[in-house]
Amino acid sequence: MIVVVAEQRGGKLNRATWETVVAAQQLSAFAGVRVGVLVPGAQASAAASEIAAADVQDVITLEHAALEPYTPDGFTAALQPAIAQLNATYVLMPHTYQTRDFAPKLAARMDRAIVTDVTAIKKAASDTAFVRPMFQGKLTADVVPQGPAPHFITFQIGAYRVDQAKKGASAARVRAITVEADASAIREKPEAPFQQAKQAVDLSQAERIVSVGRGIKEQANIAVAEKLAQALGAEIAASRPICDAGWLPMERQVGSSGQTVAPKLYLALGISGAIQHLVGMKGSSTVVAINKDPDAPIFEIADYGIVGDLFEIVPAIIEAVKG
Amino acid sequence: MIAFAAQVTTRVRLIVSAPNTFSIDNIPFRINRFLTDVVLQWRTIRERPAAGLMHAFVFWGFVAFAGYTSVEFLYGLGIADLTRTSWFDAYRRLLVPFASAVLAGIVYLLIRRAIVRPVGLGSRVSIESVVIALFIATLMVTFLLALRLDEATPAGRVNWWTHMLVILAFMALIPASKHFHLVLSPITVFLKSPELGNLPNLDFEKEQVGLETVKDLGSKMRLDAFTCVECGRCQVNCPAWGAGKELNPKAIILQTQHALLSGQGAAKLGEVYSEKVLWQCTTCGACENQCPVGIEHLPILIGSRRGLVSNGDAPAYLGAMYNNLERRSNIWGLGYDQRARFVQAAGLETFDPAKHDVLVWLGCAGSFDADFQKSLRSLFAILRAKSVRFGVLAKERCNGDPAKRTGNEYMYQELANGNIEDLKAAGVKKIVTSCPHCVKTIGADYAKFGYQVEILHSSVFVEALLRASTVARGASEGGAADVVTYHDPCYLGQVEILHSSVFVEALLRASTVARGASEGGAADVVTYHDPCYLGRYGGTVDEPRALLARFGAEIREPVRNRDNPYCCGAGGGLLFADKEEEPGSRISDVRFKQLQATGAGTVVTACPFCSIMLKGAQASAGADTQFVDLMTFVDGRLQKATA
Repeated sequence: MIVVVAEQRGGKLNRATWETVVAAQQLSAFAGVRVGVLVPGAQASAAASEIAAADVQDVITLEHAALEPYTPDGFTAALQPAIAQLNATYVLMPHTYQTRDFAPKLAARMDRAIVTDVTAIKKAASDTAFVRPMFQGKLTADVVPQGPAPHFITFQIGAYRVDQAKKGASAARVRAITVEADASAIREKPEAPFQQAKQAVDLSQAERIVSVGRGIKEQANIAVAEKLAQALGAEIAASRPICDAGWLPMERQVGSSGQTVAPKLYLALGISGAIQHLVGMKGSSTVVAINKDPDAPIFEIADYGIVGDLFEIVPAIIEAVKG
Repeated sequence: MIAFAAQVTTRVRLIVSAPNTFSIDNIPFRINRFLTDVVLQWRTIRERPAAGLMHAFVFWGFVAFAGYTSVEFLYGLGIADLTRTSWFDAYRRLLVPFASAVLAGIVYLLIRRAIVRPVGLGSRVSIESVVIALFIATLMVTFLLALRLDEATPAGRVNWWTHMLVILAFMALIPASKHFHLVLSPITVFLKSPELGNLPNLDFEKEQVGLETVKDLGSKMRLDAFTCVECGRCQVNCPAWGAGKELNPKAIILQTQHALLSGQGAAKLGEVYSEKVLWQCTTCGACENQCPVGIEHLPILIGSRRGLVSNGDAPAYLGAMYNNLERRSNIWGLGYDQRARFVQAAGLETFDPAKHDVLVWLGCAGSFDADFQKSLRSLFAILRAKSVRFGVLAKERCNGDPAKRTGNEYMYQELANGNIEDLKAAGVKKIVTSCPHCVKTIGADYAKFGYQVEILHSSVFVEALLRASTVARGASEGGAADVVTYHDPCYLGQVEILHSSVFVEALLRASTVARGASEGGAADVVTYHDPCYLGRYGGTVDEPRALLARFGAEIREPVRNRDNPYCCGAGGGLLFADKEEEPGSRISDVRFKQLQATGAGTVVTACPFCSIMLKGAQASAGADTQFVDLMTFVDGRLQKATA
């Protein structure tokens, strides 16, 4: 069985788990093996019922004292017997900070191969190869893990798209398993989690962003962009001149001297696209730019460009979204 | 005399015990500078003509008096009496106009210092300076009186003794005061590097990591500290200080002096100067270039940054930029496929010495900044129109300037050595680029690895092309005048920026306003911003203006132009600095206001980074000033001339 190890906290599933399910479904088609999702940690059932919507064979919850609070020792101690019990051929995980923390230790403990930060899966003759960047992204390598199963694979965030997850006709069966794990082997004593230098606005997590530039002309017009943001369920952001003028707070500035963002949708209203702004939003999946100037550099990187008056176009978009 | 000797010894010992950083390469240049800056006092006069000329009077007077004072001392000490000779009498009469000039000079300077009190001289009136000025005045008065008084009379004896005692007291006062520059500045000026901002490569084999503590300061830096005359030229020319930041180059030198004399050899430089202050320098070079006594500020500022970086103490924004350089070899952290796409779209060929005359170096801005790529397209159009055969490298790294100026020497050397290998392998002999920082770094800094290549800023190359061309001549004859102002990029001395071509292209393409103006025969009024690395470092100030003038533009000069421009604020890694951490206003905002004040509606730039900073300032100010790159200006004009 291909086992996806889900990541959840307090019953809330990390979205990257869905990306890993997409990868697992692709691998399943190549290898002809079933997919099961293992959801470890307290309140696992809440997260399990969400992931059960996916087209998978099995959703397995695992609750154990060693899993709460999170420690790499505790996860290794509890996951090792669980993986053995499920008879996994592959263990798939999203390449999150938490995975980076415990997965190498878990693979080493089990003396199995691990391939990290994978961006694609390739079928080559009888082998299944995993594509990963090397030398800081200068090259990509096709890696075929060797040795006895299971093989551990972690997937780069964003490499697979959540909207391509195949949903099941009905919810997958959710069952619980129990394991024996020695909680006294845990050497870490974690404090309660806290966020350092908490920013009121964390644009880096936003899925959709409506960003305004000098083309908005005056402060009163910010309201137009805010309406669009509301209609789209997006965060509002801005380029430097807008924050300099105090029309929006500094914490909403995107660019080399502001925040770096990577939303699924970045809507640039009246932003010319100076390079310092572009480097702050180049990771966006889809960039839509509206600008009067057809020569504006923003069009160089935009997926969709609209040359025209944003005060005509934006209300039309709001209509369309609402309608 | 003993007091003089003791104080001089302390200072000499501090200098001699330091790591030796004296060098005397390029002797002809040094002699030439000695003549202009010491003998003719040019650097003193140039910026402050009145005070400078008065200072020159005092200086020339002192030199003229050297013989007189020596003769009088020989006589006073009973060694030899030459006072009765006829030539001495003639010499004494010859000195009268000198004495009058010194007297006039010192009275002027005393009034300026004690009553007018310019900001560069500090907030307190220096008592010691007043005493010294009175001493000098006394010397001159007693000299003039001696011509009238019979030496044998009591009045004559008192006058003679007053003169000699004042000289002795003067000597005792000198070494501990800024008046030590009298003795040291000729030496310091001679020992100053011929290269502005000279930063020898660190030798990692010898475990050199830059300046960490006071005892790491080299001999020239210590000499500089004791030579400082506290005139404040560095301070008033510093763009950071001018924008209200804490950095004051004069304070850096005086802090060095204090740390040395108070024996703080183990003190960390990040504490002596404050780390925050060290990161406010744009490395524009104004302080060092304006100093009349030969002080080099940049080796201290950047040397201290090196010490900080090697201990991991760089601001967070630089950490992100270093990451970009390390992973992607460019400051933006963008993928090189973007450069490849531009190279393909612009129809550029990979450089081949058999097929091409010159290599065009794109740089980080040219490779990735869509805005600056317009300027490069203009340059390509000009080169093609003039049948220049050119190619580009298959790949480029950042030249390393942002790493070098921020003290990340290890990263700089990695980038530089990689580029040198590629340039050598490609068989490149001549390079043209539109980036002044690339010109300075590849031209001057790569030479320190023993790599020599001819690199020209596009403005220099294109101006030379057009000078020989009849088309260009026709254009200036028939053309309407453009009025522009130009901001000299600090780094543009050696290379010219071809901003103007962008302007012309834009004019031709879309702007009816511009078309109307030129058709109607009215002059285009522009201002030109000299890039520091072109105007100050490279000395390239005439070619950009010649290009603008060639096409009839009227140039409105901003304050701080040519080889002393006011920085745009991008240099020394500050392109990436966050305003929120900084006091005062943005340097770019200050410069933009200066350019705006020329009244020209168009700013011509010649450096991608000046362009980024000033456009940012314009957007924040909400002004409707237009920007045009020199190359775009030229290209547009050329196309119009041929059309």
